[in-house]
Amino acid sequence: MNSYIDILFWIRQKKWLLITLVYGMFMHHFVMPPPDLNPAAFDALIIISMALILIVTEPLPLPAIAMFMLFMQVVLGIDTANNVASSFMNDAVFFIMGSLMLAVAIVSQGLDKRLALGIITLTGHKTWRIVAGFTAISAILASFIGEHTVAAMMMPVGLTLVRYAHKDPRKVAGLTAALLFSIAYGATIGSIGTPSGGGRNVIMMNYWAEFGAGSVTYLEWIKYVYPMVLFQIPFTVFILLWTFKPEQSNLDSAVRKLVVDVARAGKIKGREWLAIILFILVFLGWVFLSEDFGLGIIALLGVFLYLSFGLVEWQELNRKTNWGVILLFGAAISIGIQMNQTGAAEWIAHVIITNLGKVIDSPAILQGSVSVLLTGVMSNILSSSATVAVVGPIVLDLGGDQILIGFATAIASAFGYFTAVAAPACTIIYSSGLVKSKDFLRAGWKMGVLSLVSLLGLSLLWWPLL
Amino acid sequence: MVATIMTKKKVPFDPKSLKFLTAVSSAEYSKPTLKMGALIASVFDASHGVVYVGERASEFHGSSVNLTRQNLDNWNIIHPGLEVLEWALKELKTLSPENEELAKIQFNPDHVYEEDGRVRVILPDDKGCRIELVLREGELVDQLRKEIQLEGYDLAIIGGSQNKRHLAHSILQYLPSSIFVLQKFNPRKKYKLLLLVDDSMATIKSIEWGALIAEKLGWPVRTLTVSKTKRFGAGYQGAADKAKAYFDSRGIEVEQFFLTGDPVRTFVEFAGDNHFVIMGASTLNPVKQFLFGSKPIKTLEQTDVPILIVR
Repeated sequence: MNSYIDILFWIRQKKWLLITLVYGMFMHHFVMPPPDLNPAAFDALIIISMALILIVTEPLPLPAIAMFMLFMQVVLGIDTANNVASSFMNDAVFFIMGSLMLAVAIVSQGLDKRLALGIITLTGHKTWRIVAGFTAISAILASFIGEHTVAAMMMPVGLTLVRYAHKDPRKVAGLTAALLFSIAYGATIGSIGTPSGGGRNVIMMNYWAEFGAGSVTYLEWIKYVYPMVLFQIPFTVFILLWTFKPEQSNLDSAVRKLVVDVARAGKIKGREWLAIILFILVFLGWVFLSEDFGLGIIALLGVFLYLSFGLVEWQELNRKTNWGVILLFGAAISIGIQMNQTGAAEWIAHVIITNLGKVIDSPAILQGSVSVLLTGVMSNILSSSATVAVVGPIVLDLGGDQILIGFATAIASAFGYFTAVAAPACTIIYSSGLVKSKDFLRAGWKMGVLSLVSLLGLSLLWWPLL
Repeated sequence: MVATIMTKKKVPFDPKSLKFLTAVSSAEYSKPTLKMGALIASVFDASHGVVYVGERASEFHGSSVNLTRQNLDNWNIIHPGLEVLEWALKELKTLSPENEELAKIQFNPDHVYEEDGRVRVILPDDKGCRIELVLREGELVDQLRKEIQLEGYDLAIIGGSQNKRHLAHSILQYLPSSIFVLQKFNPRKKYKLLLLVDDSMATIKSIEWGALIAEKLGWPVRTLTVSKTKRFGAGYQGAADKAKAYFDSRGIEVEQFFLTGDPVRTFVEFAGDNHFVIMGASTLNPVKQFLFGSKPIKTLEQTDVPILIVR
């Protein structure tokens, strides 16, 4: 009797796995590929659609989905085992691995207390200035060290202020939301600013190289995209204050308590200076050496330095790094490359252009709007980096300038304002239990409009000047 | 059959060995559930676990969330969800002011033990209190099932849910313990205990549990036996008679009702909004229950009163 229940429970928990497998088998055995699509490309599309269902519904751990994507390429005869293995590991995966480990190394230094003091010194006690300071600092830092690192460091600062402002954060829900969203949205808008702001940027750079679209240096990326980061900061502050209306206009007492707390840490120590200097070296490496060495290799070099100087223990890095995500991105990029090589990406792009071309005359508008809307919508369902890994090959085949389309896609992948799943910073503030899903919608649609307008302005007014 | 077992073993289980689990969601919504959980645990003198099942972060960003939480520890900001358990402990102390051992227990968010995807609060000086506080993250039924299997709980006490149909089917089908669902439970209301009696084995235990509750809470007891036809078979009639005999032997007054019609509809109509329903779990094959439901599942889906389903 119990074994029946165990089986039924397994079916309940794994129903999406079963549905996905049935869907995959049906598509592979009973559906003929369209005449203009070769069987390998059709199979690549089946694998990627199955993987998308599994990623969204989560019946399996991420590493299992990664393995599924890899072995299915070989099982369905899309490519050989060695070719799949070589497409699995590249500089973008190195970068994701390195940046996740750097995040652990940086967060464990306790620099967040220095950061808190710095922000408060800059902003003073007024709530709107603190929200502005949180947004600006989160955006600027996230553009260099990644949004997940910034959110992990800023969350304690934000929560401590909230708790000092009121014993029960739910009684100051507006203030709580304004401060936490200033961290999340600040980090998200900042993450587009440089290649090291997020793994998705590096994935796009990897696709540019793979598609023969040319290369973009660290500084060129900043030149193209950073104006949008700076433009969005003040408007984000305005949107947050307008949407959440903090209950207290002055956080005098909370700030004083926070300063006392932070002051206990004493003067900045040699170890902390070393951690900062090492990161600056990594940053300089990204700026000046990434063309020759690759962003990923420099990130790994940074991790090597942190380990060598004893600033972080390997056991800690090993325990806190999400190896599943690294495997998944490796596999997603691998299948992305197959989409390009088999012609699957080109076929989807052709279908989109043929069908939407009847509605939209201008190819440039068509390419831009498809890449931005497709990426923006998928980011809110999937996750920003996974979206670029999946959508990247398709949008680069839409035609037009692949570099500009790639920039638009990477930027739009940061439009994950509407849900808690899209961006790591949003998931982090949601995990506090103090903001609700509907808060993401309340502020998210305004941020979506702001970002769309900003991207439009950037592409029409700024990029033509470069 | 019922008579034989009851006369041979007046109390065929040792209440002190029972373990009850109350699932709480927040201080705002779970007060009645926790209160009833504590009351029922005291009725049975059972050990009492309290579990909070929170949302689990998407696996994509799980490590970033964990990194943040570890950093929050350095700022003495406790893991979200632990504050619900802190509230639960405070509430349990208020509910049992006579319990001196419980009063001594202090909640310390640093004293937690993480294992198997759960966080257990280590309670000092907990000898004799038999309280367990656990935090889990993930899907409710999955996490409750894991907790019940791990600790061997006999009863799970759960608040009502908006998504009632889905909840009813899943919890009754998959949780391996007796289930008590507190739908629209009002702690100030005086309920009548309604025992649904038929000839199944599960009825025996539900009568024993019902008697203990009735004795402790002083609620009037009614038994209801429903037959689909106008004729009540020997099994049904015998079960009802033995149930009455059992209550009589314990000095509990009982009113008996025999109705005909569709069992579930009759249960639901009779229960109205002022009964506390106790019924035995279904003995149907799990596959049949999965496909067609069962009397307890359908009753839970259709009624709005607190219902205890004894397994």
